[in-house]
Amino acid sequence: MKFIGIVGTNAKKSYNRMLLKFMQDHFQDQAEIEILELTDVPLFNESDDQSQSPLIQSFNQKIMDADGVIIAAPEHNHSVPSALKSIIEWLSYKLHPLDGKPVMIVGASYSVQGSSRSQLHLRQILDAPGVNATVMPGSEFLLGRAQTAFDDQGALKVEGTVNFLDSCFMKFIKFAGIVAEMNVPDAVTYQPGTYEVTAVGHNGNLPMSVTLSDDRIEDIQIDTSTETKGIADVVFDRIPKEIIDGQTLAVDAISGASMTSNGVINGVAEAVKAAGANPDALKKRRAAQATAAQNITDITTDVVVVGAGGAGLTAAAQVLQSGRNVLVVEKFPAVGGNTVRAGGPMNAADPEWQNKFEAIPGEKHTLTEITQIDEATIAPEYLADFRALKAQITNYLKENEDQRGYLFDSTLLHRIQTYLGGKRTDLNGQPIYGQYDLVKELTDHALESVKWLEKIGVEFDQEQVTMPVGAIWRRGHKPLGDQGFAYIKGLQGFVTSHGGRIMTETAAEELTTTAAGKVDGLIAKGANNTKVIVHAKAVILASGGFAANTKMLQEYNTYWTSIDDDIKTTNSPAMTGDGIQLGTGVGADLVGMGFSQMMPVSDPETGELFTGVQVPPQNFVMVNQAGKRFVNEYGSRDELTQAAIDNGSLFYLIADDEIKKTAYNTTQAKLDAQVAAGTLFRADTLVDLAKQINMDPAALTETITNYNAYADAGEDPEFHKNAFDLKVEVAPFYATPRKPATHHTMGGLKIDTGAHVINTDGQVINGLYAAGEVAGGIHAGNRLGGNSLSDIFTFGRIAATSALNEEVTVPVK
Amino acid sequence: MKLVGIVGTNATASTNRQLLQYMQQHFTDQATIEIGEIAPLPAFNEPEDRAVPAEVQVLSDQIEAADGVIFATPEYDHSIPAALKSAIEWLSYTTRPLINKPVMIVGASNGSLGTSRAQTHLRQILEAPELKALVMPNVEYFLGHSLQAFDEAGNLTDADKAQELDADFMAFLAFIELTAKITPANKFVEKNQQFSWSQITDGRD
Ligand SMILES: Cc1cc2nc3c(=O)[nH]c(=O)nc-3n(C[C@H](O)[C@H](O)[C@H](O)COP(=O)(O)OP(=O)(O)OC[C@H]3O[C@@H](n4cnc5c(N)ncnc54)[C@H](O)[C@@H]3O)c2cc1C
Ligand SMILES: Cc1cc2nc3c(=O)[nH]c(=O)nc-3n(C[C@H](O)[C@H](O)[C@H](O)COP(=O)(O)O)c2cc1C
Repeated sequence: MKFIGIVGTNAKKSYNRMLLKFMQDHFQDQAEIEILELTDVPLFNESDDQSQSPLIQSFNQKIMDADGVIIAAPEHNHSVPSALKSIIEWLSYKLHPLDGKPVMIVGASYSVQGSSRSQLHLRQILDAPGVNATVMPGSEFLLGRAQTAFDDQGALKVEGTVNFLDSCFMKFIKFAGIVAEMNVPDAVTYQPGTYEVTAVGHNGNLPMSVTLSDDRIEDIQIDTSTETKGIADVVFDRIPKEIIDGQTLAVDAISGASMTSNGVINGVAEAVKAAGANPDALKKRRAAQATAAQNITDITTDVVVVGAGGAGLTAAAQVLQSGRNVLVVEKFPAVGGNTVRAGGPMNAADPEWQNKFEAIPGEKHTLTEITQIDEATIAPEYLADFRALKAQITNYLKENEDQRGYLFDSTLLHRIQTYLGGKRTDLNGQPIYGQYDLVKELTDHALESVKWLEKIGVEFDQEQVTMPVGAIWRRGHKPLGDQGFAYIKGLQGFVTSHGGRIMTETAAEELTTTAAGKVDGLIAKGANNTKVIVHAKAVILASGGFAANTKMLQEYNTYWTSIDDDIKTTNSPAMTGDGIQLGTGVGADLVGMGFSQMMPVSDPETGELFTGVQVPPQNFVMVNQAGKRFVNEYGSRDELTQAAIDNGSLFYLIADDEIKKTAYNTTQAKLDAQVAAGTLFRADTLVDLAKQINMDPAALTETITNYNAYADAGEDPEFHKNAFDLKVEVAPFYATPRKPATHHTMGGLKIDTGAHVINTDGQVINGLYAAGEVAGGIHAGNRLGGNSLSDIFTFGRIAATSALNEEVTVPVK
Repeated sequence: MKLVGIVGTNATASTNRQLLQYMQQHFTDQATIEIGEIAPLPAFNEPEDRAVPAEVQVLSDQIEAADGVIFATPEYDHSIPAALKSAIEWLSYTTRPLINKPVMIVGASNGSLGTSRAQTHLRQILEAPELKALVMPNVEYFLGHSLQAFDEAGNLTDADKAQELDADFMAFLAFIELTAKITPANKFVEKNQQFSWSQITDGRD
């Protein structure tokens, strides 16, 4: 049996939490109890429906999936705590997961009579029609004098109490079984027809038409034109299929695209309702699940690749080009990883092409500055290249002394900029910069990668040379079409049409080795609990970084003064560092693990970049929670991030109506919706704005008055912001809440220029290769924008080439 | 007579707010009724430092300054809304302005039963030792089918219901005067005790 335990309070210290933890441990042989906390649950508000928020959805899903719910409720003012009442309201308003669910009530409190009054209220509440839980009668477990009830290990001290809890719990297991039988669903009939409804997708509404016959859902059509290509495609293929196959609405949301998944499910529910049937009955209908014996799939191939992101699909394509077999295992239902999220342009010096564009103001200055760098600060292995670059620049500047000139670039400039961009020192005073041989390999071959991708079928925009955000130089090759997805679309098409096999929902869990220690395959967990055993001549790890694994980031971090437990990420939730674990499992060494990149201006709730009013930095006005500016808004990502962390992470971008017009990410309708949702603040005066965000109005007003004066003077004596555009003066005013979110991990598996994984003795691990964000050593302390894409396509090809040459095409010795 | 009427929900459209606005107008000769809102309050989270958020202080000051308090509560899932419970938890945990304060409970809801179960809960809650309000006994005012209960001018359309409210309100004014006589001057003493459940169990339970 699987139960959900709800800690009925949001207080930091709770005996009810202790009680649930004790039960979780004490009953582990009888049932699995997953504990849910109310800490982040917002206060229920009918005027601000958050039923679709990830948090409420997760409560909903988990309760629906559970065999029963245990609520541990304290007593506040003779009743249930508002936090508990609030989650019940959320779960009785638009969603009704508790309907018919077996519920056991327990409670701990200070006084002798325990939480008896609160439990009575709770029973009445759970009995209300919108909730309609099936609460176990009798067997009230009330723990009085909770402060003396537990020992140091969190166990209940008195044997009699434990015995009583045992008997209540055994009854509940029986009770849950009986209730489950009662809940076998009724027959459903529909008014036949085609119903037009809308689903709420990630980027807005998705019109759907649902066709129903007397007793079946026959067809589901979705207009997907507003969705980001690549991320949710699998939702539109699979969710409708599962609904129709199972004639059920109890289908699981797809990881990484849960919002769109639930949107589609709710859309169908709406149609079912319009057809006169009760969608809740369909939500209770579980699709028959084959949880029988574990299936084992055994596959033999030439090369197996872990991860179907940019690096993985590149490696796979390269293997196929030489006529060999490849299998790609991908953890998620959709391919593409972080690569589909990328902005698009990849860096590669291509002077022949770039020289056709005119230089722009400031570029010569940047070049001159490079020539002025003190050679003593350049690492010895880069010195020869640095000198050669200086000569190139000096020539170029001389040649173009009296004219604007063309856009300069060279492999050497790319190399030195990658080196300089990655140079950092961590909190322990440990300096880091990109490993010379790897940076050279990258910059020497990046352009070949562009040409190779063109042959695979990725088209680039020849008319534009772009500078990706944080890239320092204009050398971005921008694919035509949908940003990062353009690469994945091309690569995936090539791989599947050339006989490559991609197994989605298959997560590599372990590498296998021969007695001699050569890697010869892997074991993965496939869909529906299958075990996949792969035998291969070589394994290529391309599973991405670990920016979505906060614990791992915190464990290795040596760069940020702190990383919040609840920090959000711009990454796919798949980026948990699996490949790094797989590698260290066979002895791999790691490099640069302490260095991660943050995106300072992310949405505090979702980690997304494109919410609120995001404007060019000359129009940014950043203030901390006290209403004061705290940094030069023109600072690098690192500087902004550290300053934010020093100021409690949460900060605000202040804009006025004119500044708002320079936002590149939004429309008035989107802003209005965000204001209504409470994720963006707007007011007609700065004082009101400050009040909305609990800021001292006088402090904010003073900050803005000063800022405007600095903008007039063109000089900022406080933080030395040196480029200003607009002042903050025209109502309405906006405050966009921001927090740093994790973005990229520079550290990873140690590799050499052949993409071999190196062990802790400095030796190559035979049969094992790594490419992409899973590997470290190149970007060191800071990755330049646009360099990651160059990296994954270059090292993805190198890994495959090495594997083919060394393990596949050579006859067995 | 100076009263505060607390809207028991954080929703932007509320028939309970409408009911209080009606009372404010209708009883203008007998009392000044100020409307108190709970919507701006943060969710109660038992902060260890017991700091009082500014919005809670505003509501608390309103109560403190009033001779009596009217709660107009909706019913959510057979009890009071979480938002109202949260506001009460703040008051009980920080400033405790309700001690010995005369209280009248009214409630509007869209169903036919009015808000009987929510009102019973609210009564029990307000009598908890850390609140100790003086809830007027024997009077319960329910306004069922509340979405249809008011005309365009905000007046109650049902004459019986209007009369009932008049009678209940007069009873409340009398109740306030009565309690002023019988509540001992030890109000001051009680208020300065920082009540806590742990204290109760450590000695006086
Ligand atoms: C929002 C955003 C914007 C970005 N913009 C840019 C940009 O403009 N320019 C730039 O150069 N870089 C950018 N980056 C960085 C860049 O996108 C990534 O560093 C790069 O795509 C990583 O590619 P990869 O192939 O190494 O990994 P990914 O593309 O992330 O692929 C890894 C794959 O491995 C799978 N996987 C993980 N674990 C397992 C397992 N155990 N078994 C099987 N499969 C597994 C994952 O599901 C995923 O599909 C951006 C990143 C983000 C998040
Ligand atoms: C989550 C939720 C639960 C509710 N539960 C009940 C209930 O148990 N009994 C009832 O009479 N009305 C219930 N209602 C309906 C309310 O009484 C109705 O919305 C009423 O108009 C609320 O008062 P207001 O107009 O002041 O907001 C519920 C409403 C919501 C949003």
